[in-house]
Formats: sequence, structure tokens, C-alpha cells
Amino acid sequence: METVILFAPLVGAIIAGFGHRIIGDKAAQVVTTAMLFLAMALSWIVFLGHDGQMQQIEILRFIQSGDLNTSWGIRLDRLTTIMLVVITSVSALVHFYSIGYMAHDENFSEEESYRPRFFAYLSFFTFAMLTLVTSDNLVQMFFGWEGVGVASYLLIGFYFRKDSANAASIKAFVVNRVGDFGFALGIFGLFMMTGSIQFNDIFAAAPELAETTLTFLWRDWNAANLLAFLLFVGAMGKSAQLFLHTWLPDAMEGPTPVSALIHAATMVTAGVFLVARMSPLMEFAPDTMAFVTFLGATTAFVAASIGLVQNDIKRVIAYSTMSQLGYMFVAAGVGVYSVAMFHLFTHAFFKAMLFLGAGSVIHGMHHEQDMRNYGGLRKKLPMTFWAMMIGTLAITGVGIPLWTISGMPIGFAGFVSKDAIIESAYVGTMGGYGFWMLVIAALFTSFYSWRLMFLTFYGEARGDKHTHDHAHESPMIMLVPLGVLAIGSITAGMIWYGSFFGKQNEVIKYFGGHYTAPAEELAKEVAANNPKASKLKYVMEDAPGEAAIYIKPENTVLHEAHYVPTWVKLSPFVAMVIGFLTALWFYIWNPSIPGRLAANQRPLYLFLLNKWYFDEIYDFLFVKPASMIGRFLWKRGDGSTIDGMLNGLAMGIIPFFTRLAGKAQSGYLFTYAFAMVIGIVALITWMTLAGGAR
Amino acid sequence: MLQADLTIILPEIILSIYAMLALVAAVYTGKDKAAPMLVWITSALFVVLAVWIGMNGEGSTEAFGGMFIEDAFSRFGKVTILLSAAAVLVMSQDYMHRRGLLRFEYPLLVALAVVGMMVMVSSGDLMTLYMGLELQSLSLYVIASLRRESAKSTEAGLKYFVLGALSSGLLLYGASLVYGFSGTTLFAGIIEAAQGDYLPLGMLFGLVFMASGFAFKVSAVPFHMWTPDVYEGAPTPITAFFATAPKVAAMGLFARVMHDAFGGMVGDWQQIVALLAVLSMFLGAIAAIGQRDIKRLMAYSSIAHMGYALMGLAAGTAFGVQAMLVYMAIYVTMNIGTFAFILSMEKDGQPVTSIDSLNLLARAEPGKALAMLVLLFSLAGVPPLVGFFGKFYVLRAAYDAGLVWLAVAGVVASVIGAFYYLRIVYFMYFGEESEGLDGGKSAMLSGFLMASAAIMLIGIVNLFGIETPAAMAAAQLVN
Amino acid sequence: MEEMLREYLPILVFLAVAVGLGLVLILAAILVAVRNPDPEKVSAYECGFNAFDDARMKFDVRFYLVSILFIIFDLEIAMLFPWAVAFKDLSMVAFWSMMVFLGVLTIGFAYEWKKGALEWE
Repeated sequence: METVILFAPLVGAIIAGFGHRIIGDKAAQVVTTAMLFLAMALSWIVFLGHDGQMQQIEILRFIQSGDLNTSWGIRLDRLTTIMLVVITSVSALVHFYSIGYMAHDENFSEEESYRPRFFAYLSFFTFAMLTLVTSDNLVQMFFGWEGVGVASYLLIGFYFRKDSANAASIKAFVVNRVGDFGFALGIFGLFMMTGSIQFNDIFAAAPELAETTLTFLWRDWNAANLLAFLLFVGAMGKSAQLFLHTWLPDAMEGPTPVSALIHAATMVTAGVFLVARMSPLMEFAPDTMAFVTFLGATTAFVAASIGLVQNDIKRVIAYSTMSQLGYMFVAAGVGVYSVAMFHLFTHAFFKAMLFLGAGSVIHGMHHEQDMRNYGGLRKKLPMTFWAMMIGTLAITGVGIPLWTISGMPIGFAGFVSKDAIIESAYVGTMGGYGFWMLVIAALFTSFYSWRLMFLTFYGEARGDKHTHDHAHESPMIMLVPLGVLAIGSITAGMIWYGSFFGKQNEVIKYFGGHYTAPAEELAKEVAANNPKASKLKYVMEDAPGEAAIYIKPENTVLHEAHYVPTWVKLSPFVAMVIGFLTALWFYIWNPSIPGRLAANQRPLYLFLLNKWYFDEIYDFLFVKPASMIGRFLWKRGDGSTIDGMLNGLAMGIIPFFTRLAGKAQSGYLFTYAFAMVIGIVALITWMTLAGGAR
Repeated sequence: MLQADLTIILPEIILSIYAMLALVAAVYTGKDKAAPMLVWITSALFVVLAVWIGMNGEGSTEAFGGMFIEDAFSRFGKVTILLSAAAVLVMSQDYMHRRGLLRFEYPLLVALAVVGMMVMVSSGDLMTLYMGLELQSLSLYVIASLRRESAKSTEAGLKYFVLGALSSGLLLYGASLVYGFSGTTLFAGIIEAAQGDYLPLGMLFGLVFMASGFAFKVSAVPFHMWTPDVYEGAPTPITAFFATAPKVAAMGLFARVMHDAFGGMVGDWQQIVALLAVLSMFLGAIAAIGQRDIKRLMAYSSIAHMGYALMGLAAGTAFGVQAMLVYMAIYVTMNIGTFAFILSMEKDGQPVTSIDSLNLLARAEPGKALAMLVLLFSLAGVPPLVGFFGKFYVLRAAYDAGLVWLAVAGVVASVIGAFYYLRIVYFMYFGEESEGLDGGKSAMLSGFLMASAAIMLIGIVNLFGIETPAAMAAAQLVN
Repeated sequence: MEEMLREYLPILVFLAVAVGLGLVLILAAILVAVRNPDPEKVSAYECGFNAFDDARMKFDVRFYLVSILFIIFDLEIAMLFPWAVAFKDLSMVAFWSMMVFLGVLTIGFAYEWKKGALEWE
């Protein structure tokens, strides 16, 4: 069954990609979509029926060379099943949605057969992503990792006639390459240290790695910290964390369903998945974990601050995605991997829905993406409006704080998972930097999300009147996926709260582990640190790698997060309300304020509008010098030196000798005889001097 | 005793008697009318003898007290010589006939030249060596100027004769020095005298002079000057013959003398041969670039190829000899195909040898052009064709023998050399519109061309198994 | 040293005799000979050609054919001579070897005869 899930999208991609001339456009779309629905159905069966125990399924042998022994295998555990449902569900819905969205496209003429290509890429992406999450070793994971990179490149540049799309696809690929380099180094390092790239072997060796030092860049490092950091560099690239994030906003050049699938729900979360998957290693790398927390919190804040002022509807959501990914990394960084996965899970639903909703708006508004040209669309796009509203309620975290029904909180999906992260962050950072950044980011999130809603659906119609007159609701085929995702956005948080962020025993069991009573000193220590907390009853018993995630007994964040002060529990809610009211004030009650504020605080406004000038700095620091070096090597190195040398040789020196040889061939017998005599004289002389005779 | 000796040289005896009897018979009866038939009989006899030698020979035997050696090495050489001579003879029939050149002496002179070559590769004594060499050379001098009324052909014959005489003189001078310092003309005796670290200078001089004589026969630089003129001047079928069998014989003789007679001073002759090899490779490659006449071009091509074969010899090891033999066999096969193509180049019934006439041949005769392309790629040593493996073999031999510089030089020269082969391909496929060729529809020539091209392609499987006999031959030569 | 020089003594003697003989002949010609010159007598002798003429003059190629054939049979005599001198001691192999040699030569002779190489006109 797992094999079918893995290969169904590949089969669809091959049929659609290579066979569409035979079976036709329509059939290609139907086949790929049907394959994805099959995979989705099977994934849900696997997910709901999974008992948490890890299974390994070998498919075929892959690389065998010396110590390196890789097979294609599926590691089926809780992490995998979560990812399976997320990927196949969103992908199936996006396929379905795309049938409507891609029906007409102004970038292609009607005769062109672009749709099968699009569906083949989408299915290929899904296959690569499934390879990534199901792999039981790092090499297969890297294969999937690069596969999704390729698919992402192809899909961002899908409108290949647009220069901006081509530039964006190259940028995404190149920036990801930096991260992948770190990832690859990490794999090399792990192979060097443990002699294996199988997760089982690496996880078993993790405690040992924590005691080992490794020389890298002329310095000794703690092996676990260094290797975890290198892997995290890969995660930074794929998940658009600060410094390697610049590609994500540009990736919005791709068609909107692509943004929903790849750049919101699945591929960008691969980094979070990687950190969760590597939790047995991460648990032994405290310095790297601190860095992950710090970077995640900073990313959440920076991205949210940029999102405040963006005008392109997709870019707002893109920065929102980046910000939410920062949340997930904070959760992973403080050691509550289950909560990171929880947010990944809920975020997939509401962010995919926001993107698909945005796609519906763009579709209805004839590919207009600037929110300043929207306004008052509530009436024209009612279904889309309600879907977007649910998405906004979910992402901003609307719910009822401090009140639970038999342990289950009441609220939209984002409310539950985000609060879980913020509470964990409070414990994990002891109320420090990470916590405050996330709270501020929550405020920002609320503001820009509501700003998006108000600008798009409320107020007066702005921009081209003609466009507004022809604005229309999307066809049913695009609205159905929105409805399905809406259900997930509302309920996913409440249903799986216990499994991801419940009592310790519940979470450990859910992820296939076993729990035991903690050592007495540990319980005492926890009680001393956090007097309000009840007694620590359960810690993980399994060795690293036996369960889907590994939580060291000393890591009690999950337990303590349930006993934070009330003001901490209220803080995200309060931030959300402040953000909402500010947006209401700015864009409904008094729409002149934003303009005046931007004029008053011009430097700040420009700073945010220009995305903290990251692109400009990178352009100055890396792109320009690299292009200068490239130009130098091309013009001087390749052009003048190498070409010049070869051309000189091929067009100057050798013809010179050819002419010389031609001249020597005079046709006169005495010349020939003379040459022979000269030859023998030379040979004799040489042999007399150099020969072995005495 | 005598009986046994005669049995060993029976193939040579049969061929000589055949040549003499046929000469007398033809001159007293039909004269030139008998020529076509003689061509067929001679070729058939060559093939029969080749099969006989190839099948029957076993081990290593000596005749006339070591003057004549029959071993795997000589058998390999003889089979190659006989088969290539037969092929060239058959190919040339139509061409010679239409130009009134098919005299009855032609096949018989070829037969006598072949006898000389067979003696050369079997020689175990300076006397036999010289006898074989001269029998071959004199026959070749005559057939080079077979077209008596053409100034070019007679000039070619005369040049070849005078320079050949000079080289024979060098060889004889060297042989007499060697004889003087070793006291014997038997190779087996010479190798005993030419041992150790302290050799008499005269022996070394003898070696150099003899090597120079051989270098002339294989047309290695700087003893190559006759080659372009003779190749261009002689009638094309005779050029084809010059480029194939005599080269094998001379190379075989070279290897035979170097290993059998001077096996004790490998370090000395290795330097000479390596120098000849590198000069030949470079001059062949560089000078051919300037050629517009395909026969002259093939002359330089053969000079370059001899350089590669000498590289195998320069290794001074059994593997080197094996590489050289494999290389020569491949070279001969390629050249037969190429000359079949050149023989078919004609316009209005007249032979054409200008490269420019090949412009856009691919449009007029795609099959022929493709076969020629394969052959040219193979000559240039482009993988995966057989020609590449020949080069690879000798390069490996040189490398294994520690002559890294020689191997590197060989690679560089082959890069330069690739230019003029590929330029012909360029003309055939992307050239300018010009008056092309007509005619050349001989089924025989097309057959040889296609077969040769097919061998270049199919041979990559196992080189038709010639490696094993070549290895055996090399093993028996180098002890 | 002296021993070596002594070995070369015959050469020295030989040189002295040669130089002496040459001088005697030249001096004898100067002293004794009758001087009655005419143009044919004073011109240099060279195989029937004018000595100081265009070196590329045309002459009949048959000269060479005949002379080459002459040389071949001349050499045959040179081969036969020692063989004939030692005829008494020769084995049958040696005898038949020479017969084969003569046979081959005869075939060549028959060929050139029939070809007309021996006819001047």
C-alpha cells in the first residue's frame, strides 16, 4: 500500500508527461488527478490505521559501493504518515483545483499543450516529496530533496516566456543550492563518522557523536552540533529561513496552485520535517538547537514585518508562510518536535486554502494581483470570501483561550497549534527573545491577514473599472477544494490537539514510543524550576531512533508548556485582537491613516517595503562579485588566455609548421637524401652521447 | 634435414615458383590478355596461403640453421600481408584495366614483393633480411613506375629507387658493422654479442644505421620524404598496396631485428624508436593539414600511423609488440577501406584525387559518405570505433613501459591529426556546392568500403579476436 | 706504442710505393712521351659522350637496359667462379642450389628475350 502511495504520482507524471500526445490533454489531467486521489485515500487509511510502530519496507537496492550501502526503502512511522496525508491531500486538492485554474492561461495560446506538462510537473513533485518523507536513509532523502528542488524550479519557471519567472526559478534553484551544500556536507560528515547513511545506524550513534569532536574548517567542533548544524543549513534553504529566504517571495511567479502546494503546504516544510526526523541527533546538539530557535524566531518576526506593507496578494501570503515556518522552527528548536509537526499539519490546511483562495481571487480578477486594485469583492466572490475568511480566522488564531472541553481547546486550527508553540517557546527560552518575537509576529500576522481581507473584500472597488465589472466567482471545480480545506482549517487543531500537544504519555505513545517514570532528581528539578507545574510523571524510554521522534528525558518542555502563567496563555490572543483592531482602524474606519503613516515614517516604510534590503545586500555582496569574477574568467581566462592560446596554436603555430613541412617537401631528390643524412647524423650523435655504449 | 628446411619455407617456394612459371607462361602466350585471370589466381593463391599458414603453423621452428624463423610472429605478419595484398589486388583490377595499366607483370610483381615480405618477417639472419628486403623493394620500385608514359609515375619510381638504394646502403653499412662487431650474421649470435652494459660503439653505430634503413621502409620521419611523392605519383591501386602490406612487413622486420638481434640493448634502441615515433606522429599530423590531394594526405596519414605503431615497438615489451601488431592489423583494414573509397573517386571516367571534389558527397551518395565517415573517424581515433582501440593499445603499452611523455605526445598529435580527417567529413557533409563526383559505382569497391567500415563498428566487440594471436606472436618474439 | 707503429709499417711502405710509382709514370710521360696533340686526343674521355656538354642531353634508354642486363650476367659469373673452382668438394645441395639459381636467371632471360629487351631496333 505504501509503495502504491509512493509510485502512483510517478506513474501519473510519466503518463501525463510522455503520453499526453497519445491520450490527450484532458485525459492527462484526469489520470494525474485520479492517481493523486488514490494516493490520498490510501494515505488516510495508513494514517488513521497506523499504530505508531515503525515499519521498514525495502523496495530495491540503490547504491552499493564500498561501505556505502543504500537501498530504496520506506520508513513508515508517525512522522511519515503525517507527511503522507499532508502531501497527498493538498496535492490531490491542488490537482483538482488546477483543472479549473489552468483551463485558460494568457501566457499560452490555446493550441499549446501546456496543461499536461503542468500536471506532470505537479505529480512529479508529489513523487519527489513522498520519496523525501518516506526515505529510511539520507541519500534517498537527498534524492527526494533535490527532486522537489527540480520540480519547484520547473514550476516556478512554468511561464517560461516571462523573464521574471525565469529569473525567479533560477534564483530559487541557486539559493537552495547553498542550503543543499550544507545538507550534503552534513550527509558526508555523518557517513564519515558513523560509516552509514541509514537513519537507524545514525540515530543509534547519536549519543556517541555528542562526545566526539570533528575537525572542520581548521577547527575542532562537537560532532553532533556541527553535523546537526550542517543539516539545518539544508533545512534553512528549503524552508526559506532568514538569510536563505530570498527565493520564496520571488517563487510566487509560478502559477498559484503551485504556490499553494509547494511554497506553502509541502516543500517548504521539508526543512521542519528534516529537523523533526533528525530529532535523535538534534537532541544531542544543544548549541544548534539554540541557533534553530533563535533563527526561527527572527525569521518569524522579520517575515511578518515585511508582510505588513506588501501589496501583492501572493507576496503577503508568501511572507506569512515564511513567518509561520519560523514558528515551526522555534517549536523544533526548543525540543517539542510534536508541536512543530502539529503546526506544520494545521498550517498546510489553512495556508493552502489561503493560497487557493487568493488564486480564486486572481482568477476572478483576470490575473490582477495588486491588492490596491481590489476592494469590495465580497459580493462578487462570496464563496471565495468565506473561504478566505476561514483561512484568516485560522492563521490569526481565533479561538477561546483558557477554556477547554475535557482538555480540548476550542478554536480554529491555527489558534491551537500556534498557542502551543508560543507556550513552548516561553518555557524553552525562559520567556526570552524567542517568545517575545513570536508574540510580536502574532500581532503582525493578525494585522496583515486582516489587512488582506479588508483591502480585498471590503471598501470601495479600486483600480480598473472594467476588471471589476467582469469579476466573477470561480467555477465549482475550484471552490470544492476550498471547502474541503476549510473543514481541515477549522477542525484539525481541535481533533489532534491531544496527539501532538497533550499529556506527555499521550504524545510519546502517538509517536510510537514508550514512556516510563522519570528519575526522582529530574522530577524534583522540574518541580523546583516551575512550582506551578504538576509532578513530571512520564519521560521517553526508547533509545534514539526507535520511535518516530526522540525526546531526551531531560527535555521537559512539553510537560512544562502546559503550566505557563495565564498572561502567557493570553498573550497570542491579545496580540491577535490588537492586530485585528489596528487593521480595522487602518482600513475600514479611517483608510487615510496608512498613507499618512507611510509618509511620516518613510525610512521605516521603505525598509519594510524593500524586504529589509536583503536582495540589495546579497546583490552587492554575492551576485555582483560573482558576476565580476565570472566575467573576468570568461573574458580574460577563457576568452583571452585559453581561446587565445588554442587559437594561436591551431591557427598560427600549426599552420606555420604545416607550411614549413610543405616547403621541406621540395620535390628534389637531393633534399630528400639530405634529410635522411641529417637524420642519421642526428641519431648517431645523440646515441653516441646518450647511448649505453662505451 | 634439407627436406625439413624446405617444408618450412614451402609457402614462399610455392609463391615464387608460381610467379616465375606464370611469368614465362604469360609472356609466351597471351601476354596482357592473361592479366585479369592472373590477378584472380594470384589473389586466390594469397588467400589460400594465408589460410594455410594461419591454420597449420604451430610453435616456433627454424630453417637453414636459424636463418629463417617460422613462429607465431611471422605467421601473424604473413597472414596480414597476404590478406591485405589479396584485397588490394582484387580492388585494383577494375581501375587498372580501365586505364590500360593491367599488365600481366603487375600481379606477378606483387606476388614477388609478397615473397620478399614473407621472407622479411621470417628472417633470422642479416642475409635473409637483406634478401627479403631487396626482393620486396625491387618489385615495388618497378610497380611504382608502372604507368610508364606518365612523368609523375616514373618520377615516383625513380625517386623511390634512388632513395631506396640509399637506405639499403645505410642498412648494409649497419649490417656490416654489426657483423664486424659480433662476428656473425645470425640474429641468435648477435643477441649474445650485444648484451650487457658496455657495448662497443661500432655495434651501436650498426644499430643506428640499420634502424635508419628500417625507418625508411616504414617511412618514419626523417626518412619519410619519399612517401608523399611516391604515393601521389604512383597509380592509386599501387599506392594502396604501398600503404598496406609493405608497411606490415617492414614493421614486422623492424620488430624482429630489434627484439631478436638487439634484445639485449632495449634501452638504446628504445630511444631511437621513440624519437622516430614522436617525429612521425607530429610531422604526419601537421603536414597533412596542408594537403588538398587525398593521396598525399593519406601518405602523411600513414606516416603518422607508423609513428603510433612505432610507439608500441618503443615500449620494448611483449605487450608493446602485441599493441603494434594489433595496431598494424587495424591500420591495414582501415586503409583498405579508405583506398577503396579513393579508387572509386572519379569524374567523367578520370580519377580524381582532390579533396574539394568531395563537397557535399553526403547528398549524392549518403551510404558511401557514411562509410567513409566511419573510416575517417576510426583513422582519427575517435571512440568507440576500432581505430581508437588501436591507439589506446599503443598508448597503454608506452605508458606501461614508462614512456609517459611519448604517450602524451601521441595524444596531442592525434588531436592535431583529427583535424584533417574531420575536415574531409566536413566537406562531405557541410561543404559548398561544387561539381561533385560521378561514376565510381563499382560493386567491388563499395563492398570493400562497406566491409571495412562495418569492421570498424563491429570490431569493437572483441577486435575479431586478433588480440590472442597478437599476444602469442608477441610472446614468441620477446623472450 | 712502437709495436703499434710497426703494424702500420706495411701501409707506409705501400703509400710510398704508390706515390713513387705515380711520380715515376708522370715523370716518364713528361720526359719520354712523343707530343703530337690533336683535338680528340686532348679532350677528356667519358664513355663515348662529350665531356663538357649539357648534362641533360638525350640519349637512348636502351644503353641502360643493355648495361643492366650485362651487369646481371657479369655478376652471375662472379657467383659461378668460386663455385666452379671448388666444384670437386661440393655437395649435391650446393650443386642443385646453383642449378636453381641458374634456372631462375634463365627464366628472367627468357622473359626479357620474349619481351624484346635485347632487340636494339
